[in-house]
Amino acid sequence: MGLEDGGSAAGAGEGGGGEGERFRVLVVDDSPVDRKIVERLLLRSGNLFEVIAVDGGKKAIEVLGLNYADCSVDLILTDYCMPEMNGYELLKAVKEHKLRKSIPVVLMSSENNPQRMTRCQAMGAEDFILKPLKAVDVQQLRHYTRPAAAAAVAMEAESAAKADGKRKLPPMKVVGENKGSERQPRPRLARVAVS
Amino acid sequence: MEVRRLQRQYVEFASSLFREGFLDEQFSQVQQLQDETNPDFVYEVVTLFIQDSERLLSELARSIDEQPVDFVKVDAHVHQLKGSSASIGARRVKNACLAFRSSCDGNNFEGCLRCFQQVRNEYSLVKSKLESLLGLEQQIMRAGGSVPTLKC
Repeated sequence: MGLEDGGSAAGAGEGGGGEGERFRVLVVDDSPVDRKIVERLLLRSGNLFEVIAVDGGKKAIEVLGLNYADCSVDLILTDYCMPEMNGYELLKAVKEHKLRKSIPVVLMSSENNPQRMTRCQAMGAEDFILKPLKAVDVQQLRHYTRPAAAAAVAMEAESAAKADGKRKLPPMKVVGENKGSERQPRPRLARVAVS
Repeated sequence: MEVRRLQRQYVEFASSLFREGFLDEQFSQVQQLQDETNPDFVYEVVTLFIQDSERLLSELARSIDEQPVDFVKVDAHVHQLKGSSASIGARRVKNACLAFRSSCDGNNFEGCLRCFQQVRNEYSLVKSKLESLLGLEQQIMRAGGSVPTLKC
């Protein structure tokens, strides 16, 4: 994955790296200060996350490779207010894409705007976190992955790809466990009651 | 002992910054993200904040000079500066930005001019304070000591 201007990739290897799966988080924020802090919060969360950080929605679209079948992003953590393509528009692009719609999207904003939050949740956002992020916010992010749904989409995409003669998808990572058939309860960070 | 003296000086200076409202608890949070795997994290974040703030202040100066003033554009720049100052814990800059946004909302040009001056002043002050704080950190580390953790 080639990340050029406005993007950087970092793993949790600074601490020696460990065995086991890590969630790959795509951080999208036009503020270099916020990108740096969020990235650091993620990398310090017990070897849970790998981070790709980009400076806007358009770069995020490139990283997500919406024209390609395979994608190894497990979670998108995006700022809401960004120029050119804001967080809501990115969320919409992801949720309206056949192959990417299962990727959980969490939005961040410095503004407590209920209408904005409702709009994002209606479009399928997992959550809406107020900035500045804290360590406890980042710890909660692992609960947003939905491996059962992701695997189902991957299998469907693989069947479609085979039928179309396109290249095979790599096996989808299972990044967490869903106990039981029900979706995990929404974490306490949810700011809006969904009616 | 030199290290102890420097550490005391650091704590006293940092405490004054919190007391006077230049910094808030968020700065402590940023400091806690620094460790042996990234010993220059605070310095890197502060550097980014300074660079980004100066860019935004230049953009703001240009936007306010335009005729007529595009208050939406001005507000967008102030919003960004408010965000980064909040993220680093630069409380007085953040609060000055909040007031600035109110003037933008009201399309109040005179208010915007006053607020812009206020934001520039507060930024200039906190920049100077942060540079002094980081300078003390470096002195402590050069003397072989560790930087005290701040509690506000």
